[in-house]
Amino acid sequence: MNTLVRNLVFCAVCWSFNVKAQGVATHNAIAEKRSAFSGIPWTSKLVDTARTAGLRSPVIAGGEKTKRYIIEANGSGVALLDFDNDGFLDVFLVNGSRLDTPPVDATNKLYRNSQKGLFEDVSVAAGVAQKGWGSGVCAGDYDNDGFTDLFVTYWGPNVLLRNTGKGKFVDASKAVPAAGAKDWSSGCTFVDYDRDGLLDLFVTSYQKFDLATAPLPGKTSNCEWKGMPVFCGPRGLPYGKVSLYRNKGDGTFADVTASSKIGDAQGFYAFTAVAADLNEDGWPDLYVASDSTPSLFFRNQKDGTFAEIGAEAGVAFNEHGFEQGGMGIALADCNGDGHLDVFKTNFAGDHPNLYLNRGKGVFEDGVLRAGLGVNPQYVGWGVGFVDLDNDGLIDVFQANGHVYPELETAKSSEEYRNPRLVYRNLGGCRFEDVSHLAGAAVAEKHSSRGVAFGDIDNDGDVDVLIMNMNEPPTLLRNDVSNKNGWLRVKLQGTKSNRSAIGAEVTVGKQKLVVMSQTSFLSHNDLRLHFGLGTQAESGVIRVRWPSGETQEFASVKANQEIVLVEK
Amino acid sequence: MLGLVFATLWMAQDELASQAQELAMRKQYDQAIGLWQKALQQNPKHFPSLFNLGLTYFNLKRPADAVPVLERAAAVNPKDFNTRYLLGASYSQVNRVDDAIRAWRAARVIPSSHPRMLLELLIVEYGKGRYFNEAAEVAKQLLRDKAGEPNAYFLAIKAFQDAGDFDSGEAAAAEAVKRFPDLPRANFEHAFYLQKRGAMEDAIGYLRKAIALDSKYEEPPFFLGDLLVKQGKNEEALGFLRQSIACRADYIPARVLLSRALMNLERWEEAIAELRTTIEMDPKHPQPHLMLSQIYFRQGDEAKAKVERELSLRLRRENPTILEAAQGRPFKN
Repeated sequence: MNTLVRNLVFCAVCWSFNVKAQGVATHNAIAEKRSAFSGIPWTSKLVDTARTAGLRSPVIAGGEKTKRYIIEANGSGVALLDFDNDGFLDVFLVNGSRLDTPPVDATNKLYRNSQKGLFEDVSVAAGVAQKGWGSGVCAGDYDNDGFTDLFVTYWGPNVLLRNTGKGKFVDASKAVPAAGAKDWSSGCTFVDYDRDGLLDLFVTSYQKFDLATAPLPGKTSNCEWKGMPVFCGPRGLPYGKVSLYRNKGDGTFADVTASSKIGDAQGFYAFTAVAADLNEDGWPDLYVASDSTPSLFFRNQKDGTFAEIGAEAGVAFNEHGFEQGGMGIALADCNGDGHLDVFKTNFAGDHPNLYLNRGKGVFEDGVLRAGLGVNPQYVGWGVGFVDLDNDGLIDVFQANGHVYPELETAKSSEEYRNPRLVYRNLGGCRFEDVSHLAGAAVAEKHSSRGVAFGDIDNDGDVDVLIMNMNEPPTLLRNDVSNKNGWLRVKLQGTKSNRSAIGAEVTVGKQKLVVMSQTSFLSHNDLRLHFGLGTQAESGVIRVRWPSGETQEFASVKANQEIVLVEK
Repeated sequence: MLGLVFATLWMAQDELASQAQELAMRKQYDQAIGLWQKALQQNPKHFPSLFNLGLTYFNLKRPADAVPVLERAAAVNPKDFNTRYLLGASYSQVNRVDDAIRAWRAARVIPSSHPRMLLELLIVEYGKGRYFNEAAEVAKQLLRDKAGEPNAYFLAIKAFQDAGDFDSGEAAAAEAVKRFPDLPRANFEHAFYLQKRGAMEDAIGYLRKAIALDSKYEEPPFFLGDLLVKQGKNEEALGFLRQSIACRADYIPARVLLSRALMNLERWEEAIAELRTTIEMDPKHPQPHLMLSQIYFRQGDEAKAKVERELSLRLRRENPTILEAAQGRPFKN
């Protein structure tokens, strides 16, 4: 029997199984070696002031201890906008729901900034207290009346909120062709794709989700995470779609998804959408982070149509050609070469991407060389390229959080709640992890999703608003202890859309873009913040407006907000 | 056949089992199975018959038939390593993963001379990566029991890598190269951890030594080429990548990386030629098509780029796991 047994044993080893598919793209990435610490003091401390500021209501997002369906897992976006034009940023939180009875006050929340470090809940009075499975938010003045409007995505019909300018929004959803009852919309961005001065609307859908047909945890290999039964997907569930709506100028939008060829793209689970001129031809393109499917780069063909070229351009996959669990997007010129670069967060067990723009819309993933491959253990979500310490170099802030709350009770090396990450830009888009120096609130563990950036207290540094799953939000006040200068730039389009969404502003070697959505399904302050380091003046300010016109403005003194109007 | 059945009616169970085994060795499986079943009619707890019948079913790719027989064998002789081991493999074949894990865990605690076999099984079959941590535990046992064998180190290093246990893998690789400095594989494994620690020049030194020790070993020149490409030394990488391919012509990762290095050098036509060769060797791999689409895009030929892009996407859909890594299970036993 011995011979037979030996044959058996090795034969058994030789018989192999196929690698099973799994619900999400991930790659067993291990942390890259960290470079020696630069020794440069980190002078930006982030302090959580949410509770004292009055942001105490939890954002509802599915089950707390367990999640049966993917609809419960992705959370939602947040927005920082000045809805009443008082010069101070207000807070908007998209709320989700529960499969069983959600809390009565699980509505979207609008908190007005009292300018004294306090926020007042004006959701009901302002007409934004909608309920439902909310996902993302984007903002822009689509009717060019000088007041910022909101678009909120849902599982089911989306909501367009027109700002009346009187402290209220009205539901103008009927102005946009309605999404289907089972369409789970996620990302959105206002974008003037045809450069007619009117903001159009681009909407992404994560998937078509149907509770009646969605499988339960553990049903297939797409419903497991490392051997643990979990909610299914996104793989195995119906794909999402993208839609484009043209602003007709009469307060309504026309569906141009088919005629613009945006609808030609198929086979993806789309999340965050950003609009910017990535190939430097003067027309706004669209980039979409996709979960476990190729991310999408819609190049504006300048004739009302788009071509999806993500794979060819090098922004659909990582450098090895792997699909990734894309979530959030940051966009700016991080190395001062004049080209807009893209940072994308991904699922755990994978590195993010730092797509370095080599010009004309050709990208290379340089994430490992940039030092940003040191924390692949987290599911990354909201993210921003922001100069937190005003040294003139754009840093990275990233919020994290796993999607499976079951990890909290499993004997696992992974955790549902994760700390935040702060990376200092050392120059040339090389980074070092300074999270441990950025304050106790950065180390606090939450399962976070949407993040928005803006100077909430107008004190000359960028603050951070974070959505936490089934918890109140985090509001990180930035306390900068150095004497670096700064400049805040507010743009007003005249030929271009009034919000100047799509405008590029260059100060020194920094280039930032006014965006309607970025981070994870979130909206940042429309004002652009530039750190000036030790410079007393800004130097020449160059603006390329969404209309395609460029304009130069004379140098101004540091430490002020300026308003630039398109000539 | 009829005569054989009659002749066996009176035979003792051991003799039946012995004859069955001989038949099985001659690949006369149907007759062998008949004899084992006959022996089991005489004695339902006859262990040799139960085990070998289960084994034969397994080898005949009839794991559903093997399972009940091996369950009986395990009940008769619960401390038999091979039975537990084979039962686990059979369970795994019929997707009874949790039962497989229970059987293999039972095998693990049986004193045996086969920890290496068990480790191989764990790594290769143990849920295809879902239980890497358990494989790593067996690896530690293997190193304790078989520290004199180079292969024990290499298996253990693989297990530690899959389990994400960087420190144990690094220690095993360092010990392997210390004990077996003239083995190319030991130098290669050590180099891997050195580069992960950022000691790039040291890593390159060990890789060069591995190449010098065995010029037919494809992994060290591939890995050295990879390091050089990551450092932006594309020109220098070309020679090593070509050496790797010379060792193993069907080494697709080396061909893809060579193409990448050529792309980085904007040697488009050479890259295209290399990718075309790669596609001939592995027509179902999406990556060469993706890279071709990127080259054509950079050359301004968007029509060709689109064709290759679409092909790459289609191949991904047809074989969704080709570019996937199995997930290590994070949970402890």
